[in-house]
Amino acid sequence: MKQKTKNTRTAHFDPTTLEIYRALYTSVAEEMGIALRRTAFSPNIKERRDYSCAVFDGAGRVIAQGDHMPVHLGSMPMAVAAALNHMILAPGDIVALNDPFAGGTHLPDVTLVAGVFEEKEKGEGRKAKVRTKLRFDSIYLDHAEGVSELPPFALLPSPLFFVANRAHHADIGGATPGSMGMATDIYGEGLRIPPVRLVKGGVVNDDVMDLIMANVRASDERRADFEAQVGSLQTGTTRLLEIVARRSRQEALAYASHLIEYSARLMRHTIAAIPNGDYEAGDMLDDDGVSHDEVPLRVRVTISGEKARVDFTGSAPQVAGPINAVEAITVSAATYVFRCLIGMDVPASAGLMEPIEVIAPRGTVVNALPPASVAGGNVETSQRIVDVLFKALAQAMPEKIPAASQGTMNNLTIGGIDPRTNGEFTYYETVAGGMGARPASDGMSAVHTHMTNSLNTPAEALEYAYPLRVRSYSIRTGSGGKGKHRGGDGVVREVETLVPAQMSLLADRRKNAPYGLSGGKPGRAGRDSIVQGGRKQTISSKGSWKLAAGECVRIETPGGGGFGRK
Amino acid sequence: MQNPKSRTRSSNCRVGVDTGGTFTDFVFATESALQVFKLASTPSDPSIAIIEGLRRIAHDTGVPLADIEVVHGTTVATNTLLERKGAKTALVTTAGFEDVLAIGRQARPSLYDLGAARPVPLVPTKLRFGIRERVTSAGDVLVKLDEGALASLVRKLKREGVESIAICLLFSFLHPEHERRIANALRALDVPLSVSHHILPEYREYERTSTLVINAYLQPLMGSYLNRLQEHVPKLRVMQSSGGSISASVAASEPVRTILSGPAGGVVGALRVAEKCKLKKIITFDMGGTSTDVALCDNEGMRVTREAVVAGLPVAISMIDIHTVGAGGGSIARVDEGGSLRVGPESAGADPGPACYGRSLLPTVTDAHVVLGHFAGTGLLGGDWKLDEVRARKVMKTLSGVMSAVANRKIDYLEAALGVLRVVGVNMERALRAISVERGFDPREFALVPFGGAGGLHAVGLARALRIPRVVVPINAGALSAIGALMSDVVLDMSRTVMLEATPKITRVLRGVFREMERTARDSLKREGFSNTRQRHECSLAVRYQGQSFELLIPWTSETNVGVMFHKTHNARYGYAQPANRVEVVSARLRSAGIVGEQRSGSERQRQVRRRRAVVPGHYADVVSESGRSRVAVYSRDQLEAGMRLNTPCIVTEYSTTTLIPNDATAGVDREGNLIIEL
Repeated sequence: MKQKTKNTRTAHFDPTTLEIYRALYTSVAEEMGIALRRTAFSPNIKERRDYSCAVFDGAGRVIAQGDHMPVHLGSMPMAVAAALNHMILAPGDIVALNDPFAGGTHLPDVTLVAGVFEEKEKGEGRKAKVRTKLRFDSIYLDHAEGVSELPPFALLPSPLFFVANRAHHADIGGATPGSMGMATDIYGEGLRIPPVRLVKGGVVNDDVMDLIMANVRASDERRADFEAQVGSLQTGTTRLLEIVARRSRQEALAYASHLIEYSARLMRHTIAAIPNGDYEAGDMLDDDGVSHDEVPLRVRVTISGEKARVDFTGSAPQVAGPINAVEAITVSAATYVFRCLIGMDVPASAGLMEPIEVIAPRGTVVNALPPASVAGGNVETSQRIVDVLFKALAQAMPEKIPAASQGTMNNLTIGGIDPRTNGEFTYYETVAGGMGARPASDGMSAVHTHMTNSLNTPAEALEYAYPLRVRSYSIRTGSGGKGKHRGGDGVVREVETLVPAQMSLLADRRKNAPYGLSGGKPGRAGRDSIVQGGRKQTISSKGSWKLAAGECVRIETPGGGGFGRK
Repeated sequence: MQNPKSRTRSSNCRVGVDTGGTFTDFVFATESALQVFKLASTPSDPSIAIIEGLRRIAHDTGVPLADIEVVHGTTVATNTLLERKGAKTALVTTAGFEDVLAIGRQARPSLYDLGAARPVPLVPTKLRFGIRERVTSAGDVLVKLDEGALASLVRKLKREGVESIAICLLFSFLHPEHERRIANALRALDVPLSVSHHILPEYREYERTSTLVINAYLQPLMGSYLNRLQEHVPKLRVMQSSGGSISASVAASEPVRTILSGPAGGVVGALRVAEKCKLKKIITFDMGGTSTDVALCDNEGMRVTREAVVAGLPVAISMIDIHTVGAGGGSIARVDEGGSLRVGPESAGADPGPACYGRSLLPTVTDAHVVLGHFAGTGLLGGDWKLDEVRARKVMKTLSGVMSAVANRKIDYLEAALGVLRVVGVNMERALRAISVERGFDPREFALVPFGGAGGLHAVGLARALRIPRVVVPINAGALSAIGALMSDVVLDMSRTVMLEATPKITRVLRGVFREMERTARDSLKREGFSNTRQRHECSLAVRYQGQSFELLIPWTSETNVGVMFHKTHNARYGYAQPANRVEVVSARLRSAGIVGEQRSGSERQRQVRRRRAVVPGHYADVVSESGRSRVAVYSRDQLEAGMRLNTPCIVTEYSTTTLIPNDATAGVDREGNLIIEL
């Protein structure tokens, strides 16, 4: 992504107005999230909040993102960029996409994008045409690449902003319920949606919707979640137009740019505080679920002045199993790590990445190419990218960086037929674990760390929604690594199915435990098993199993690494 | 206290008492007016100041102390929780779920803060006891309660010396029998018990357990505090967090309901003031030194939420939907490393306080007001508290220097001060939006009611930003919480989980459910001395689309078409409805109220309406605002009489607050003495 930072860096802004816009745009993104959560149907969205919402300027540069899912931090902008590459959005259009190789992350994450256009003339009805008085908005064109190629679409008004949300749907088709199974290519993972118009001119495109619904399990729930996503975009649109109406469009657009610059300044300031030098580290994923081979990741972080280069050269070539990460995820993980170093809240705008160069060689596990399977890249490999990056940075700033956290999301999906409704159900959950010990304090126990922050499904909500039962949900005492400061403990979660069901697990840190730092011991690796009566059978961390009614899956999540010698 | 010996010798005397950090406020009604006075609070035992104040009232009115009816807004519960000074508490729960309290919802409190910490659970691991039993989501017993284990549980609890116990089993709201039996067994320990199906019969185990544990944690302290008070004043009621007062015995056994006792009084007070002005829809705005509370009331009264988080812990019972922002008069302004002007959340507090208090060099919101002349040179607390203008100017000049460097142009200290106010304004605006626009309410239909020390300085500007057409600054704004306590109804909330699909057939079922609840409520209110004519019973339903997890509350009568009403409500709130989806009634709720008679307010002097009389300002002052420098009239609130019109722009100063009114607004005093500002 090219940024035209040099030109705008010296642009004048007013510190007061900047702060006002920071609050305004952030609250739009947050409000979109509230609307989505309160109206969605699937427990994964409404209970676990597995979604993100963001606001973009007219050129598709992110200006604010709600504090939702860090893994979407750097990858949401790519979704909008992909949508814009594929089509020009007209007022009332909403683009849907999930293609990991065109703006997506993994297939269950479906992103909706809409343009925000200046209001229609007063007095016109709902279906009325948008204002025909067109003018080329200089700000929009300034930021767009290849301006001269636009004339074919010159009759369309240009959007002031874009709004987007991304929600993890509990199923998007494919061989295994929950679409988080062991496919060896993208085609086996589920329905791949390139940028398409789900809503056209304010009307749902039934052809597209029907095609999607025909390919996913529990389609009624999916459809309702899509409607909730559309509603959330409407909320965002309304609020942005209110801001424009109240404060003037010129100012609103100018300060969108200033906010991007603002984030960039804060990031430069942060990087400048890191000692110059090259910092290298290696870590690995246990395996890809297809072979037993370890999958190594390598990084070399070069800090020079206000700039950072993050080079993943030396990481493993892409693999057969579904743990390949697309570039968007690798960028997200790098953004996340550096954002943690800023130490204050800052808009998650495009500026954050401006001083950071990410080199992810094509065809590797950190920048996979089609037709790689990618379900776990988003949830597992992203965590390991964070681990390896922090490990490198710990050499530069040992007083700031925590030991490794659980380094996995322990993705569990269970699907089958619910006898109460005779309909399909798919349950998706990620299970918390131990956080790495910090230089000044113990790690937290039983929390989600780094690239995710989804909530759990309460046992009572889960049992209302699915023919499943939670047998126990407890802290895995003693699993945190020892040290001057202890790593946080993992979790034990046991879920029983009351009907025959297909269960999939996608997890890691079962062989290579989360590392300690400065002499702290590693945390305990995770462990998984199927329990029937008193019999307990250990299973691998990645795979799919048929469960009989009454069988139970038991997940013991890793503890965090310790910090410092005791 | 004005007019100490003008009193009624009636045997009936009601007093509103609110304890704050600095002052304890007392309000009581005499024949002609409301009497208000303040005493210094006694934080180590708030009852000391309360009893002293009540003795004075007993002396002045001639009503024996034991006959005075007291309605109390208390911060005992909040402070106990914030300071973690509650009882040694144990939890008894379903085996396998002992750690639910510690795991919470497994989210971390702050996404990008590597040093973040979660609040430590109120019950440590070794005091969380699992007991073998299990009920399913259909309410069936899957595993029978292990009664044999109860005796050893009692022994263990005794050995640990626990002072209070929470009992919270999975799905107990569907099958309370197991909790009941455990409670029976634990009664032998003679410590307070908090039982989940009784206090919060609703699903989501973490939120329910958290609420129950908070209740248990507060019970012993709250119980003994209220006992101490009741020894002197047996007729004691306590403000609850959702508005309305509950008996002292209910407050003692369910103290979790009093966590927002004080702020609830403020909102009720504001609401009563508004009702007298024929306004129902108001937004309250209570801006203090370090934080600001905002809340919204619509035609149905105060908005309540069941998703509140207090001190980092979820509390899933009804509370007023108060939104708090960490910004107030003491919030510190600074320019951050990226060049943005930030205000708060760091606060100078009361000590060392803003620069103008003379002890610090911290540029705060209050300093910004000082240099802009907004206090009209009169200081705070009616002039008792002098402000150091030179010092305020000095820190604002330093700030403007930094801002100038960032903006690459000259920003003078006045512009910097205006900037500070604009930023704090936008934070306040966000809070006001969160409770209005984001909840589907149009601010243009509301009036803003400011109170608290700094409320009046910001109210008019905020009203304009949100297009709120009217601001009402109540008389006695400094004691609004106590006034609210005095005037609040006696309430009784009940709910039954029904889980029914909304078909025409359910009317009959609902009628039965509500009839039964209402019968219980009527008896209970009658015992409290409310005849049938002084009772109000409001039925509502918590409804959702089948498949959703969040309910919307709709009012219910036997005429209501639940489905249609719900689609409409959903559309109003979220912008769309799904008429094809099934609608599910989750619970039936009854709120019953014993109506407290109207209390007089406003002094006699103010009640004599003199129409259209202009009032002569005390003096004039130079003030800087967004529109530039101007000379404005300064009024003292004491000189304002009912019916008077004010020249604008002006400043109205009073003992505990200052109100800024710009020239494009009109202002007058209504017959009750409230200041009404129209935009």
